[in-house]
This record gives sequence, C-alpha cells and structure tokens, in this order.
Amino acid sequence: MPIKNRFAELLPDITAWRRDIHANPEILFDTHRTSALVADKLKEFGCDDVVTGIGRTGVVGVIKGKTDSGGRVVGLRADMDALPILEDTGLDYASKTPGAMHACGHDGHTAMLLGAAQYLAETRNFDGTAVVIFQPAEEGGGGGREMVEDGLISRFGIQEVYGMHNWPGRPVGSFAIRAGAFFAATDLFDIVIEGKGGHAAKPHDTIDPTLCAAHLVTALQSIVSRNVDPIKNVVVSVTSFETSSTAFNVIPQRVMLKGTVRTMDTDVRDLTEDHMTVMATQVAEAFGAKATVDYQRNYPVMVNAETETGFAIEAAERVAGTVDEAPLVMGGEDFAFMANEVPGAYILVGNGDTAPVHHPKYNFNDETIPAGCSWYAEMVETRMPAG
Amino acid sequence: MPIKNRLSEMQPQLTEWRRDIHRHPEILYDTHRTSALVADKLKAFGCDEVVTGIGRTGVVGVIRGRSDTKGRAIGLRADMDALPIHEATGLAHASETPGAMHACGHDGHTTMLLGAAQYLAETRNFDGTAVFLFQPAEEGGNGALAMVEDGVMDRFGIDEVYGMHNRPGLDVGQFAIRPGGTMAAVDQFSITLTGKGGHGAMPHLAVDPNVAAAHIVLALQTIASRTVDPLKQVVVSVCTLNADNDAFNVIPQTTRMGGTVRTLDAAIQDLTEDRLKEIATLTAAAHGCTAEVTYTRCVPVTVNAEEQTAFAADVAEAVAGSVDREVAPTMGGEDFSYMLDARPGAYIFVGNGDSASVHHPAYDFNDEAIPAGASWFAEIVERRMPQG
Repeated sequence: MPIKNRFAELLPDITAWRRDIHANPEILFDTHRTSALVADKLKEFGCDDVVTGIGRTGVVGVIKGKTDSGGRVVGLRADMDALPILEDTGLDYASKTPGAMHACGHDGHTAMLLGAAQYLAETRNFDGTAVVIFQPAEEGGGGGREMVEDGLISRFGIQEVYGMHNWPGRPVGSFAIRAGAFFAATDLFDIVIEGKGGHAAKPHDTIDPTLCAAHLVTALQSIVSRNVDPIKNVVVSVTSFETSSTAFNVIPQRVMLKGTVRTMDTDVRDLTEDHMTVMATQVAEAFGAKATVDYQRNYPVMVNAETETGFAIEAAERVAGTVDEAPLVMGGEDFAFMANEVPGAYILVGNGDTAPVHHPKYNFNDETIPAGCSWYAEMVETRMPAG
Repeated sequence: MPIKNRLSEMQPQLTEWRRDIHRHPEILYDTHRTSALVADKLKAFGCDEVVTGIGRTGVVGVIRGRSDTKGRAIGLRADMDALPIHEATGLAHASETPGAMHACGHDGHTTMLLGAAQYLAETRNFDGTAVFLFQPAEEGGNGALAMVEDGVMDRFGIDEVYGMHNRPGLDVGQFAIRPGGTMAAVDQFSITLTGKGGHGAMPHLAVDPNVAAAHIVLALQTIASRTVDPLKQVVVSVCTLNADNDAFNVIPQTTRMGGTVRTLDAAIQDLTEDRLKEIATLTAAAHGCTAEVTYTRCVPVTVNAEEQTAFAADVAEAVAGSVDREVAPTMGGEDFSYMLDARPGAYIFVGNGDSASVHHPAYDFNDEAIPAGASWFAEIVERRMPQG
C-alpha cells in the first residue's frame, strides 16, 4: 500500500492550490490570504472544528475519526510563510508580489497537509482525533513558538506532533529522517563596540572601533577552532559589520556586529555564548573600547523523539518502501518549539534535482505531493488505527 | 559465555607479567627486553613459530588450530613501547627507568595478547591460523608501518587484523567501537618565514617575520571555523613558534612555526593541507616575507572495516554482555591504521575504569581489564575461524 489512490485523484486539485499559494506569497505573520484560504478549505472538507488566530495568523483544523475509544490526538504541522526574496523562476505561476517568494516550499507543505486533511475528513478511518496545524512565520519569526504560547498543545490535547520538509537533492517522494538532534539551535547576536570617534588623520586621538571589531571577528574564529570539541558541531558566523560612519575621513564612534550561532547540544551552546561574551568584552577592553553583547537564543535544537521517529519511519516505509538516515542539518527549524512540548518527529521528503531552498530559482516539486500527503495521512492511520 | 574461565584462572599470572613489563618500560624501537620476554613466553606456550626482528624489534607468534580446512589466518596485534614520561604513580611496580613509563597501557595490551596466545596454544579450538603481532614504536615511531613494510601480512598470510586499546573513563572490561574513521590521521607541518632582520627600534627598515607568523596563526583558525563543513571534524594546532633570535631589541630574520593537523577523512585532509599552504605562503607574501612549508602525513586515519567491526562488536557483546557500537571518534592518532590499510579489520576500546588519562604521569593500566581483553582476542579467533 504505497501512495494512497485517493491522492493520485486529488493531485490536480492539490497542485492548483499549491500554485495559487505560490503566486501569492506572504511573509512572516502576514499570511492573511493564505490563512483564510486554508481555513476555507478546512471548513469545506467538513472539519469538525476550524480555529483561526492561534499564534496570530495560525490556523488549526480538527478532524475526528470514526471512533475515539482511547482519547488519542495526533498533530500534523505545515508552515505557510514565504521569504523576502525576488523570484527568478520565470514560471507562469511565479510570485505576483515583488520581493516575496515561496523559496522554501512552504506552499507545498501547506498544500500537502490540506490534501491529507481532505482525505482524512472523507475517510475518518482512525480511532482518535487528528489536528492539522498551519503555522505562520517559520522563517525567523518563531511562528511555532507563538502557536505553542497561545496554548496550541493543551487546547487541542495534542499528544504527538509530526512535521515534514521538502529536500532538494533527494529523489522526489523519497524520505529521510534521523532520531535525536536533527536541526541546529539558531541563536542571534548583536555586538556593539563603542570606541571614540574622530578625525581619520588623528588616530591617536581616537579609539578605533573598526580595528577592535576586526580583532574580535578574528578572535571569534577560535571558538570553533580552539574551544569546542572537534567532534562536536558548531558554527559561529559574523554576518554583518557596520560602522556608524560612512565617511572616508572619519573614525567612527561605534561598530555594530551581527551574526548567528548554530549548535547541536546545550553544552556547546552555553560554552559558545559564554566565550563570545567574554571575548567581545575583553577584546574591546584591550583596545580601550567597550562592547555590549546581546545574545538571543532563538530556535532550540530540533530533536526527533526516538519512539515517534520509529513511527514516522513506519509510515514512510509504507508510502515509499524505504527510508534513509538523514544527516544533521546546521539550519534551524521552529518545529522545535512544538517538538519540545510533546514528543514528535520531523521528516524530509525529496524535492528532486531542484535549486536549493532560499534560492531565487527554487520551486517546490508538485510530483512530491502524493508521497507527502500519503505520509501525513499514514501518520494518523498508523498511530490511531481504527479498531 | 562471558569471560573465559581459563583466562580468569590465569589473571594472577598475567598481572605479574604486566607489572614486570610496567617496571621495565622501553621507548620506541628499543623494546629489547620486552621483545625478548614476549618471544620467550610465546615459545614456552608452544607456538608453532616465533619470529623476532620483524619491523626491527617486532615479534610474531604463529599458532595453528586443530584443523586448517580453509587456509584462513587472523592477525591480532598489541603494542609494546613506553613513553618518555617520568612516572608519578608511586606504585610498587612503578618504572625502574627514570624518564620512561608505560603511560599508555601498552604493558597491558602486550599482556592481554600474551594471555590469549597461551590460551589458544593450549586449546587450539579453531580452524585456521592465529598470528600474534607484537609491535614496537607505536608512540610516534610507526612501528606498525615497519612491520607491514617488512612483509608481515604476506609472509604470514594474514587475512584480517584486530587490535585493542584500553580507555580510561570507560567501565572496566566494557567495550566500545565504531565502524569507519575511528582515530584521526596525524599530519605535521612546519613553516619557516623569512623576512628581513633588523633593529627593533627601526621596524620600517626590516620585514618582521614575527608579525607575519602571528597573522598566519590567526588565519589558520579559519580552516576549522570557515573552510571545513561544520559537520566534519578537523583540528589545526600551531604548537611551536620560535623566532631565530632571543634578543629584546632585534627583529629576527626568520621565524619557524610548527604544529599538527588531525582529520577523519581524506577529502578534509587534502583540503586542509591545501588551505594551510595557501594561507601560509600568501599571508607571508602580504607581509613581504617568504614562507617555506613542509607538510608531512604521519599516520593515516584508523578506519574500521564495516563487516569486521560488526563481528568484533558481536564478540565484545558476548564477552562483556553489552557493547557501545557507535562510540565517538577521537582526534588522537594510532599507527594500527597501517595494518588496517593493509588488511580489513577492527580496532576496539576496552574500559580501563576511572583511571588517570593516558599519557598522564599518574596513569596505570587496570589489571582487572585483563580477563575481558584477553577473552576478546581469543574469541575473535575462535568465532572467526570456527571448527567444522
């Protein structure tokens, strides 16, 4: 029983939804059109309950199975938001909004979960409740966190949660997953180095924050190369370096550095934050400047629970025959906030030989839809089999 | 069938041998007393063949099983050499040679393999040939390479090789192993920077190789932090940096630096070597200096073969009740890698309990690990070449 037949039938519809969403991308929490579209469809499918406004623009649909003997509730999650990228695909359904684009395939995730919802609402061949979760603001906005803080888990009694992401470079419709830490914790840092501005011809009268910041960028490299166990994984990237002046003959008063830290475990995360704070403060002091560090822990490590990963593999094997072990990913994923609340698993589904995600030529591969929809539906039917 | 009873019986005897070897540590290839002791014991056990002088002071013992229907031969290896460390254990069996010490447990490895040889010579409950490889100079002398280059694999028809190292911090007698890259490739580099020496008060007339060296140290950090995939492993350590001058007021003409690179796969090793050379020469050029880089690959990655690793883990599980099959790799090096490059095989860790770390002056091999370690060696032979 590989791909469910019903999804082959539904494919033209689901593809049309996907392309409509693709043509109308919305960023972060501003998924107003997409959320309304999702809510309308869920009502049309006959969901028992459709709730909007959870986590600002998040949408939740509830589908009760034929029976509910054990009070089981399984959550399935998709993300709806697009990216601030100017699309360069030349497709006839390309973004109508310049500077916004579905370059991460969330249009496909949303369409696949809608397809699964339609099938589950039609068949209801399970014993319990399926909760379909559509979140905004996965791309840096913490939409998953907002939904959790709005009581998503307790309000609907969700006991397990499952999510999916398309993966360019994997064969279309094939699956990969790993148990344990999967996606990195993504932290952000802002460092302001306050020197003493002045005339560029009189450096001796100034404290040059640019020089100090250059030393700090260099020093920060040693967190990876000298401080963290080489067997462990860590990325420290200074991604923005901005002087407070743009004149050629002015030594600026201050420099602002920004960047990101990616880690796979708490010890390394703590160590990196500590070292960064100490280095910034002390290097600045060594140059007579003053550094302030604002270190923000953003998404936690996305950890797949052992048992639920096993269930996700079972479901994927039924759909695709085999499942590969996925490598660690240094990218972040805010599904982590949901997976931190209740055990869950996150799986990758192949997008074929496409441009990578976040690239202006990327496009979600519609041929993935039957496999993705089938997996979502199987998760519900596998975890809550009808008696 | 956990620890072999016979090896438990032999433990007091084996402990005595281990402590005797511990008292008489010998460095690199100078394992004359130890090699003689090993050869004498192998002969006393009734080995079919005992050959000395392979890889200079290496010793090989051959034990034939009751039958040999398939012509199989398995190599089991232990290292015999000690370290140039001054022992600070205060033990009754401490080193009698100041400045030399068995601080890595090779005394224990040698003893465990001797125990297995005695047992196998007594029982010969296998179909094929067991070859015992006692190597000198594991600690930086490439004794394993010397034995391989002396033809040890072909001469004794060895099909597979197995080795073991004790591990402080792992419960005594417990085992840990992993398939694939287990211990790092060890490379070393030296960089000689030539500038233009001069008076410390007149830097504008000189080209300062110390400043170039300092910039190179910093730039080399980016190999780990910016160049190599963060999911891969690499260590680049600058360990020595010396100006050819120790006056306070002289800018030197040349500065030398050196260090080590550790990697677990060939692509990262190549990438690191290339980047290191580019960074050194181009940074030196940016500072008006020239850089001469020597990059030497010392020991290859210790790669455990999939099939033999799974087998070695099964044996360890039978001996100890459980086994860690996915232990993390270590960035230390191990010259057993040369034997594993020559023949498929596996290298396993056996717990040394809560002891000081290896290469520490307070370290001692834990004699309680002997029955487990010796049983593993013996079981490898009996299970890999079972009697018909």
